[in-house]
Amino acid sequence: MAGEPIAFSFAPAIAVLPLVAFVVALAFGRYMPKGGAFATILATGGSLLFSIWAAVAVAGGNVHHESLYVWSPADALELHFGVLIDPLSALMLIIVSLIAFLVQVFSLGYMNDEGETGLPRYYAGMGLFSFSMLAFVMADNVLMAFMFFELVGLCSWLLIGFWFREAGPASAAKKAFLVTRFGDYFFLVGVVGIFTAFGSGLFVGDEAFPVLAEEAIRNGEQVLGFAPETGITILGLLVLGGVIGKSAQFPLHTWLPDAMEGPTPVSALIHAATMVAAGVYLVARMYGLYALSPTALAIVAFVGGFTALLAATMATVKQELKQVLAYSTISQYGYMMLALGAGGYVAATFHLMTHAFFKALLFLGAGSVIIAMHHNENMWDMGGLKERMPVTYYAFLSGSLALAGILPFAGFWSKDEVLYEALIHGQGTPLLLAAYAMGLLAVFFTGFYTFRMVFLTFHGKPRTETAEDPHGVRWNVKFPLVVLGTLAAVAGFINMAPVAKATGTHIDFLHQWLNGPEEAAALTAHHYAELLENPMFAGYDPAGTAPYLPALVSLAIALAGVALAYRLYAVPEPEQHTDKLGWLKTLWFNNYYQDEYQVWLAEGVTYPFAKAADTFDQGVIDGVVDGVSSVSLFSGSRIKRIQTGIVTNYAALLALGLIGLLLVLGVTGGWFA
Amino acid sequence: MVPIVYYLLLSAALFSIGVFGVLTRRNALIFLMSVELMLNAANVNFVAFSIYHGNLTGQVFALFVMALAAAEVAVGIGIILVLYRNFGDVDVTVPTTMRW
Repeated sequence: MAGEPIAFSFAPAIAVLPLVAFVVALAFGRYMPKGGAFATILATGGSLLFSIWAAVAVAGGNVHHESLYVWSPADALELHFGVLIDPLSALMLIIVSLIAFLVQVFSLGYMNDEGETGLPRYYAGMGLFSFSMLAFVMADNVLMAFMFFELVGLCSWLLIGFWFREAGPASAAKKAFLVTRFGDYFFLVGVVGIFTAFGSGLFVGDEAFPVLAEEAIRNGEQVLGFAPETGITILGLLVLGGVIGKSAQFPLHTWLPDAMEGPTPVSALIHAATMVAAGVYLVARMYGLYALSPTALAIVAFVGGFTALLAATMATVKQELKQVLAYSTISQYGYMMLALGAGGYVAATFHLMTHAFFKALLFLGAGSVIIAMHHNENMWDMGGLKERMPVTYYAFLSGSLALAGILPFAGFWSKDEVLYEALIHGQGTPLLLAAYAMGLLAVFFTGFYTFRMVFLTFHGKPRTETAEDPHGVRWNVKFPLVVLGTLAAVAGFINMAPVAKATGTHIDFLHQWLNGPEEAAALTAHHYAELLENPMFAGYDPAGTAPYLPALVSLAIALAGVALAYRLYAVPEPEQHTDKLGWLKTLWFNNYYQDEYQVWLAEGVTYPFAKAADTFDQGVIDGVVDGVSSVSLFSGSRIKRIQTGIVTNYAALLALGLIGLLLVLGVTGGWFA
Repeated sequence: MVPIVYYLLLSAALFSIGVFGVLTRRNALIFLMSVELMLNAANVNFVAFSIYHGNLTGQVFALFVMALAAAEVAVGIGIILVLYRNFGDVDVTVPTTMRW
């Protein structure tokens, strides 16, 4: 297209570079230094540069949409691969490629320096993972998004099960794959439903399905044979199934803590950029559809708020560093879902971004600690690491402050905006208000478990010999930590909404960014806000509550959690204070018995049901088939006896047959009448 | 002119004799003769209808049938010869190996 910035002609390269690196690392990795690491690092670095370039072009007021390859050119239903670079995807591309780049640099320290084997496979997996996620992010239609959504799931299986010779990782990989697949079934049905209902899976343009859905409601046309509101709610909820699986929301969150069995850089990648983020991003991508359905939004918000609280409580009693982080991820994605459901499109994107930075940072920090502790992850064996690894400590502290939501770190601004959106839109909707209350309560637990983790790991006296003399880490570990540590501290400043409102200045840059160019007006935050406030659609009526008081309340609650953690754990020799919770600790430590009930569901319900179905199949269906064949066999064995081999008999039969025929013809033809 | 019905009755009688021969006799040679009778019954019909309709088509067909009958006898005799070699008899009830 003429007049388009040249940056967009390189857009496909953002995804293709890691794919090339995947092939190179897989085929030649073993002949290359560092097991092919440089191939993927260079490729992801290239993706990062191209992403930034594309984002600059988007900032210049352009939106890029192009169809790359049509693989089913039917008139009625065209299926194709395409690229869509708008403010949302440009932002996400930068986040994903940046995190992937830093994680791969970190892997040099975590995998290569620790003498792991199978590195080509590892780096190839990293490359494929980045490719899938980047292609998912820039997908311009829902089917392409689904395909790469699945590929992301496959990559998670490959990487979580990297140490597949041990039982734990292999089983965790299977669990991650199967649980997310279960959600994806709903997504698949939703994709088919979207194509059936609107004849288009595009995210952008006049034929985009959110636009068609909007028109359907305006004109009162039926969707899938239901009233338009109902049909759109059904479609939204079906897609939500995939989102709940991938973004680890209740009740499909169980795979994520188990996924900690994988290498720590993989956890960082999964949690911050490439896998769990996919679900939330998907909702944001097709927000035009969700904004039409208040029911779907309320369910999104409630699931989010509930997950945020549930996961935060479980995180408070865990003993392993990575387990705490895993539950915090579930909880934080709950916040993003809460924001999306509450109409905070910008808030959710904002939190997605800041969370990507600080959670990647925390995982990499944890990885650094794990190297230092010779792969012991139990926090009760650590302590006093502050003096021995200062870079890791300060970076980790920056991430923790962001996670806990303490002013002025990134997490404060984004989490506060999430809660603020839930509060102003929730007044009058009990479900939203309940979700807000759960989110607010989770803030306390977040502050507590985050700093319990910090104090146990880094403060006090070393509790084991390893902690007294930890293993050193090199530049390749420290560099990503420093970059992310800085980002976790300052990323919030791009969108200080409360300050913007107070001072009247326009420093809510993310809002402006997502309001985006005119060219794709249906994809802007502005348009979504219009949809949300239109009584024909979501009908949200934002209350005019000033943002300062809720911000202060959530900050105070977070500080209370931190203070409690400080009082209990910032002592030279901390004790297991959570034991005082009694049965509650047992409940939380066992994850509310979610795994147990899901296993029971599989073994106690699904398996007998499948068994009964099998019996029915073997007995009734096969019985009918076998019966038909045995009737044929029996009658055949009898009737074959007319084949006597004596030619006279055949002649007699022929003659009788002829006479019979003549008789029939005669009677019906009226010869004897 | 003889009415056509007489020719048809003659033909039907010939055919019935042929069928009777096939159904009741056991000698394969008699079979062949009976088949000849049935073919000739058809020939009588052809010729009779040829005169009746006043064209030569039926007579031409009768010539074809004679050629066909000659060929059939040649093949039939061959079969009977093989039958005799294998079973030492021309009784059609003896060879019963081609059955269930």
